[in-house]
This record gives sequence, C-alpha cells and structure tokens, in this order.
Amino acid sequence: MKPVVKNSIAVFSPQGFLDGNSAGAFLCIEDIEATVNLKVDMILVSLKKVVFFNRNGLDTFIKLFYKIRKNNHAAVGFCDYDRKKYVAIKNFYQDEIYFSLFKTLDIAYLFSSSFKNQNKNILIYSSDRSQRTAIAIELHDNGHNTIIAQSLEEFDDKKEKTNLYDYIIDSTFLGQMGQKVATRVTGNAIIYTISMFLDVEISNKFNIEYHNNSLNVGFRLFIFDAYKVISMNIHALNFFSRLASSAAEYNATICFVGMKFDKAPETFRDTLEDSGILFYEQMDDILQNKELLKELGASSASNVKNKRVLNKENVTELPKFIDATVITIEMMTNAKAIKESASVQKLIINNKEGKIASSIGYYGDIDGMVVLIFPSGIAKKACELLIGENTDDLEMILDTLAELVNIVGGKIKTLLADEGISVNITLPRTYHDVDSLLEVVENRKGVQVDLSFNGDTFLFFLTR
Amino acid sequence: MITKDKIESFIEKIPPSPKILKETISLLNVGELTKAAKVAEGDLALKAYLKNIVNKPIYGFKNEVSDISQIFGILGVSLSQQTLYNYMISLLSPNKWVLFKLNAKLFHELQANLSKKWETILKHLKIDDKNIYAAISLLPASIIVTEALFVQKIDDVNLLRTTKALDFNTILIRLCGVSLFDVCEQIAQKWEMDSKISQIVQASSGVKPSDNKEINQLGKWMHLLLFYELSKPAFIEARLNDFVDFQIEYIEDIYNEFASLMEIQ
Repeated sequence: MKPVVKNSIAVFSPQGFLDGNSAGAFLCIEDIEATVNLKVDMILVSLKKVVFFNRNGLDTFIKLFYKIRKNNHAAVGFCDYDRKKYVAIKNFYQDEIYFSLFKTLDIAYLFSSSFKNQNKNILIYSSDRSQRTAIAIELHDNGHNTIIAQSLEEFDDKKEKTNLYDYIIDSTFLGQMGQKVATRVTGNAIIYTISMFLDVEISNKFNIEYHNNSLNVGFRLFIFDAYKVISMNIHALNFFSRLASSAAEYNATICFVGMKFDKAPETFRDTLEDSGILFYEQMDDILQNKELLKELGASSASNVKNKRVLNKENVTELPKFIDATVITIEMMTNAKAIKESASVQKLIINNKEGKIASSIGYYGDIDGMVVLIFPSGIAKKACELLIGENTDDLEMILDTLAELVNIVGGKIKTLLADEGISVNITLPRTYHDVDSLLEVVENRKGVQVDLSFNGDTFLFFLTR
Repeated sequence: MITKDKIESFIEKIPPSPKILKETISLLNVGELTKAAKVAEGDLALKAYLKNIVNKPIYGFKNEVSDISQIFGILGVSLSQQTLYNYMISLLSPNKWVLFKLNAKLFHELQANLSKKWETILKHLKIDDKNIYAAISLLPASIIVTEALFVQKIDDVNLLRTTKALDFNTILIRLCGVSLFDVCEQIAQKWEMDSKISQIVQASSGVKPSDNKEINQLGKWMHLLLFYELSKPAFIEARLNDFVDFQIEYIEDIYNEFASLMEIQ
C-alpha cells in the first residue's frame, strides 16, 4: 500500500479489519523503504475506514513509525478516528505513546509546518494539561489563534458557539512532533522557523529540495524566523553560508529575524553578513515595509539576473512533456486534447481574464519548468474527476489543479525514466491569475504550445 | 481513460451462459438434483470446478467429494445453485491477472470464503431463499470488471491514486456515470439471473442503498462481509483491499452482530 501525499502529509488508508495478520500485508518492504525516504512533514495512518483494530494490528504501523523516526524527522501517528477508537489506542499504549493522534486529517494539517492556511481560530481541549499547552504552543507557532478550554464543562459550553471557531480540537494527542524546519509562505516570501541549538543536524532538518524548488519557481526572499534560536555552531554556520552562496546565484535574499548572538560568537554574525545574509530585529520590520520587501525581491519574483535559456536536452524531450500533459488531461476528462501550434518564444497570453495557472519544476539529469495556463472553466472540467462535484470555489479548484499538475509531473518523470533520464519533480505551484504567473516567467524564453480541449484552448509552456 | 463505449464493448463480449449450465440451474430450480448432476457431468470444466471448490478446507469435508450428484446432494438446492453461479462468474475471470495480484486458485478461494460465510449469515438471519444465497456469487464479478476495464491504464490509475485516494468505483462513476456494480447488474441480466441478486449486490456497493428494507439490510451484511474477506493478508497483498470504498457508516448498525457471528475479538 502506498500513501497519498498532500500538503506535505503522507496518509495510509487501510480499510476493514486491522489485526496482527492483516496489518503486515499492507506494507511490503518497498512500501516501507519508499515511505521512510519521503520528504514530508508527517506520516499518518487514517483509521477512517477501519472498523476493527487491535494492538497487534497497530503495532505493525508503529514499527514503521520507529523506522521513520530513526531515518527521518517527520512526525508520525494515526488520524481520523472517533472517541471510542481514541480511548482504545490510549489504553493499548498507556504511557508509551511517542506518536501523535489527530482526530481528523484536517486537524493534522494544522500542525503541518507546510500548511498554508493560517490565522485560524481554534478551540482546544484535552484532559491532560500538558497536552493542552503543547497543542496550543504548536498551533501558535504555526500562526494560529488558540483558545484553551480548561475544563470539559468549559469546552462543552464553548464548542456550542461553532461560528466563533474555525476548528475545534479534542481527542488529540501530540507525541514527538517533527523536528524539520517549519516552512510557510507569505506572499512571495518563504519563512523558515528555526529554534534551539543549531548544529550539524540542520542539514537533515532543512528540506533543501523544497528550498531549491522555491528558488526555481521564482521565490526570491527567504526569512529565517530565529527568535527561538539559542546558539549555533560552526557546522550550522557553514550550512547557512553555503545556502547564502546558492541563493546569490538566483539573486535571492536570505534574512535572519530575531537572532541573538548572546551565546554564539559575534564573529559568526560577521561571517554570515559577509556571505550576504541580512539581520533584522522583528519580522514586521520586513513584512510591513513594502519598500524594503520590494528591495529584497519579495514584491516581485521576476528580478532574476541570471536567466537560463532553454537548452537542447529539454527541447529534445519536448514531445515527452507534451505527451505527459495531453495524456493526463485526457485521462482526467475522457476528452481528446489536440496540439494546435508550437513555437519558441516568450510566453504570450492573449486574453488574461478568467485564467488560472499552475507550474511544476523538474531537476536531475535535465531541469526546467512546465507551466499550464487554463481558462478557469476548463481547469474546473479537468479537475472534476479529482473534485467529484461541481464547484466554483477557486481555492479548491487551485488546490486540485496543483494535484493535476503533480500528476503531469509524475507522468513526465515516468516517461523520461523510460529514456534513461532521471529527474525529480518539485512541489506544484498555482497562480490565481496570469499576472502573478508572468512575474515569474515573463521574460523567459520557452516553448509555447497551444492545446485545444473540446474546442477551448489552454497553454503549455516549457521553460528553464 | 475509460469510456462508456469501452464498458459496452466489455459487456457485449460476455458470452451467453453455457447451455449445460442453464439446464443444470433450471433442473436445480425444480429440485431435480440427480437429473441436474447428470447434465452437469457433461461439462468437464464445471465438474472440475465443483470438485475443487467443495473440497476446500472451508467446506470442512473429511473425505474428498468427487461425484457431482454427491456434491449436489451435500450442498442442497440453494448452495448448489450458488456454486454454479460462482462457476459462471469465474468463466469471466482473465487467464492472467495484472491489475490485481490474483490467480485462479486465489480467486476461487475468495469465492468459496464469501459463499460459505454468506451461508452462515443467511442461516443467522433465518433466510432460506435460493436467489439470496446466489447473490454472493455476483459480488466478485466487480473485481473482474475492474481488472478488465482498468488493466490497460494501470500506470495512469496508479499515478492518480498517489495524488488522491480514489477507489476504482468512484473513478468509473466520475468518468462514465456508471458504477462497477451497474456493470455487474448488466452481467446478471445477460445471464438471466434473478433481479433480486443484482439488487442485493447493488446495495452491497455501500453507495447505492436500496429502498427495499430487506434488500438494503442484506446489502449491509454483504458489504461488511466483503471487507472482512478483503482484510485477509492474501487479498490485501493481491491489492484488493481498496479497490472499492468501505462505507463504515453504512454497516454501523449491524457491526456488533456481525462481529459476534464471525467471532471477532
């Protein structure tokens, strides 16, 4: 069984009966290895469709959790259960619970550092006071407003006023949480949260692929929220210096906010400044200062000095990229997609109104970026299979479009692998409108292909 | 990916039920076990299937049973008819399974397990209707239909399923507006099975409850039985555990009774 990965959380969804005999069959050796190597914030097992489980059944997954924790810093646990199942798990493991329990997957997303929705009002209750606090701290760290009910009576009373809260959390337990460097996106800036003592482990905790992806897709401002950093050693210093050098290649800026050097040599600050890292006292010094944001590159993602040109390797494989797109769109819609024209040029979009876009990067033996631009109606049609209902919710359509482009990326990877070309794909990015896309690719040359789907056109653009 | 035309072409290719089988079933219907056995003897593949299936450990016979009249005698009318339908469905199964890691032996094992436990359930519910006994035979047809329709699109489906946890039934419904169980119903119609059989199997999908209370109740038992079987290691390894969605809310009211009947602890 393979997990489904979304918002940096991988979820296994076994069905039916989970006992000592059956649970082992869900995870073959390849599944375990693939899971251990996943670059995600959390790995969870959903109990939504499990009608019966016993301790032996859960133990199989817990062994997987051990393996993951050993190799990877992701948080692990179970989700999607009712009160009865929650009590059963707590009784099975008593004080040995190091994994986490999230009542629903949506609640788990709140704890994922990569979850983009923030500023949610969340009511929390746990009979365990330390858990109440731990949950509140984690959520606060992730940018949410928390309201803690101190007693069950208070919780029952407060939860009646459902309109006051975006989420209500109970029957949830935080085990050892992930130690990865938390990441969130604010406008065109990416904020990483670092804490405690920074040492050689920082290179394991920091998702360098995500960072490189962000550089590739046009992010130019990276802020390290370092309020909680106590100190750092030479290994961490080297790591950040290297990061600053690679950012310079993209004309990107790296800033540290709230970093104190009380317990670290002041010379470290000089070294970091020499490598191009900027220091600020407060986050708002950057985020509330539009002029500064512009100067640092966050107001526009287009100020790339060293633009790269489309090379022969990419052009040679162009049919594969188009095939991957056409096959995926056809698969999702059961309709024929037809190639109408292709040319090497800067991206030209005749009518920008009502269009949304998504992009995905690939890197490895060859690298580049595929951009798809759809009229929103066609995007909706293309996403119908994944959404399952007719919706005008733009956020949901964009989310699903990201999944669709992820499938295109997966197909590209497979088609190129058949030719012996090994690439990895980055996380997909979506754009509410064409202007925000143009900020990233406006001056880049690439191959533009007009594709027609049921008489309407959508654009495919391949660039570097 | 999969079109209505493809589904229609699949149904068109289903051969009519073999003459011998039809005759055997009609004789069983009027209680003529000996005559039915005599007719069935004329189909060697059927004979081998019957021998193979009733000698599986789940049937619990101490000595090997090889004579067809003996098999029909032991099974009685309802179970004999159920077994014949099982054979009919197995005729549709592919020579080589690709999407699911199945083989003839494992598929027959699934049929036998479902049939035997369905018998236990019907006895518990005090139901003695041969068409309801036979209904369980049609259920594994949903697996065969999935294999047939999706086999050429394995890579695409796998890619899709790493992004979103969609079961095959949902994919088919969203693409063509037809469910796996609708296709099973068409098979049942083609083979002139009693309409009650397909109604129960439709309800057992868990996504199309029946307005008929009795049929809906049987659909719940069948849905839960299916997932009880698909939670066995061999069938999980065969990738059958998530081929359709388990509707846990649908079976909630019968779960305790089922657990006690199957002695689940």
